[in-house]
Amino acid sequence: MKYAPLVLKHLRKNWIRTLSTVLAMAVCIFLICTLQTVVDAVNYGLSTGNASRLVVRHYVSLVFNIPNSYKARIAAIPGVKNITILTWFGGMYRGDMKYFFPNLAVEPERFLEIYPEIMLPEDQKQAWFHDARGCIIGRKLAEKWGWKVGDTFQLESFIPPYRVGKPFEFVVDGIYDTDEVKYPATDLTAMYFHYKYLWEAKGEKLDVGTYTVLIDDPKNAGRISKAIDAEFENSDTQTKTETEQAFRASFIAMAGNLALLLNGIGLAVAFTILLVTANTMSIAVRERQQEIGVLKTLGFPSGLVMGLILTEALLLGLLGGAIGLGLAGVAIHALPNMPFIGDVVRQFPGLGLSARIVSYGLGVALLLGLLAGFFPAMMAYRARITEVLRQV
Amino acid sequence: MSTAPATATATAVSVQNVRKVYQRDSLQIKVLDGLNLEINQGEFLALMGPSGSGKTTLLNLIAGIDRATSGKVVVAGTDLGPLSEGELSKWRSRNIGFIFQFYNLIPVLNAVENVELPLLLTSLSGRERRERAMTALRIVGLEDRSKHYPRQLSGGQEQRVAIARAVVTDPNVLVADEPTGDLDHQSAEEILTLMETFNRDFHKTIVMVTHDPRAAARAHIQRHLDKGVLTDEVTWNG
Repeated sequence: MKYAPLVLKHLRKNWIRTLSTVLAMAVCIFLICTLQTVVDAVNYGLSTGNASRLVVRHYVSLVFNIPNSYKARIAAIPGVKNITILTWFGGMYRGDMKYFFPNLAVEPERFLEIYPEIMLPEDQKQAWFHDARGCIIGRKLAEKWGWKVGDTFQLESFIPPYRVGKPFEFVVDGIYDTDEVKYPATDLTAMYFHYKYLWEAKGEKLDVGTYTVLIDDPKNAGRISKAIDAEFENSDTQTKTETEQAFRASFIAMAGNLALLLNGIGLAVAFTILLVTANTMSIAVRERQQEIGVLKTLGFPSGLVMGLILTEALLLGLLGGAIGLGLAGVAIHALPNMPFIGDVVRQFPGLGLSARIVSYGLGVALLLGLLAGFFPAMMAYRARITEVLRQV
Repeated sequence: MSTAPATATATAVSVQNVRKVYQRDSLQIKVLDGLNLEINQGEFLALMGPSGSGKTTLLNLIAGIDRATSGKVVVAGTDLGPLSEGELSKWRSRNIGFIFQFYNLIPVLNAVENVELPLLLTSLSGRERRERAMTALRIVGLEDRSKHYPRQLSGGQEQRVAIARAVVTDPNVLVADEPTGDLDHQSAEEILTLMETFNRDFHKTIVMVTHDPRAAARAHIQRHLDKGVLTDEVTWNG
């Protein structure tokens, strides 16, 4: 502590340089922590899929549909307990992507049997089952738009096969909740409606996006998946069956390897800041050759002089890290309320600056400070008194 | 600060057959060549000689901030040759006060913090360190400038702060490299008077390198170096 004034006064002397380095470090930690939080939230969402549910989709891509006729054949495979259609509708509210929320066509009774996390009062359930234009919406979606049971709204799909020349009109028959302890990954911003409504609107000529299959035992997932795909191996439309968790992972992978991309951005930013900070520290140490010589002449051991330089660098890291974490906290808090991106972000439960991310952010900041300060500190360590004082 | 009289015959500095050779690329530059020098405790010695004669090199060897190529340097009873870098640092902090030509105060620290700097290496408390630093500043007549930064002081005042820093740990030997070289006549006189005071009243052994005959005249003894060798010329003052 007795050396603190020496370290602090040096940082204060070139306060513009100190401030710009700290801010650069803060931006770096802000980006890393924000991106890492999003990656964590995505991973968390992926890891919470129900192990008893399989998703059957087109072998080539989710973009292609699979025939309606497959449903009965899949249901007949041993181990399959239930099956429902689940088709991504891609409906836009007010015809604008910025108001987008997930909306899917399902078979209501089977859907609710297979997805116990979708919790509805019995009367709303019955109302939905018997209303062809009816839909259910998540609690958060209802709160966002102020929708109540009985309200109507329109959606128009951006997916060509589901466009019929006019928007689809829906009636809110129910607002679902969930048990957030038991099913933390449940999306409360989604909307579900009758597949039959879509099918009839398309003149009863419509295939299926995916089937969700409930199986008797998670241990049989591999065998049943193989059996389903084998059933359609010689068909025009082959299938790919996987667990819900694997399906979610592949869905995310459609947009590229998100984690790799985000971590790559974080790494590039960190490396740039490392160079900037190392350069700043090198300049600071070069400017203080005389002082280093004087300290050593007074009897300061080389290790202590090195330690003072490293402490300065670590302090820059710590300050930058703290500010960066503060910014990340504010940003992560604000993200769900931001237009468009907020809708995407809200789909990932558990989005928040966790203790792990805080430790990670501070760790990265201190590591950056340490690395940036190491070589300048080594310069100071190795500096020979007679050499540095002669340069003055 | 200790004012106990030193034994008149005790040797403070003993330089025995010292050679110093610098290696510059493929060139070997011989700076000191078999030099011998004895300085008794409480003496004030001025080293004179032309540029490049090896004065500063000899001073650096005595101060323990450089090592002899061969020969023996014993200061304050310690043979400096076998000491490791760490041991040498510790020894310097306890036994040597260094006064530079250009003062070399730390610009971000004020006068009292600069003086306190060597005391950071001791186990003194913060309050004790501050008291000692203020005492040293009082002795050099700058107590009222304790909160001033080096840029707010004149050259003479800076050098007085540097002297306070050099004596604050109560070292046995003060080494001064051209302490008046950057000062006007008046300030130089004040600095030399101060050094005389430390020699006379506090019995500090002083080794001073200087080009200035008037400064050298304030020392007890003047020795002359030429091409790395002490000449036979010895001037006794007063």
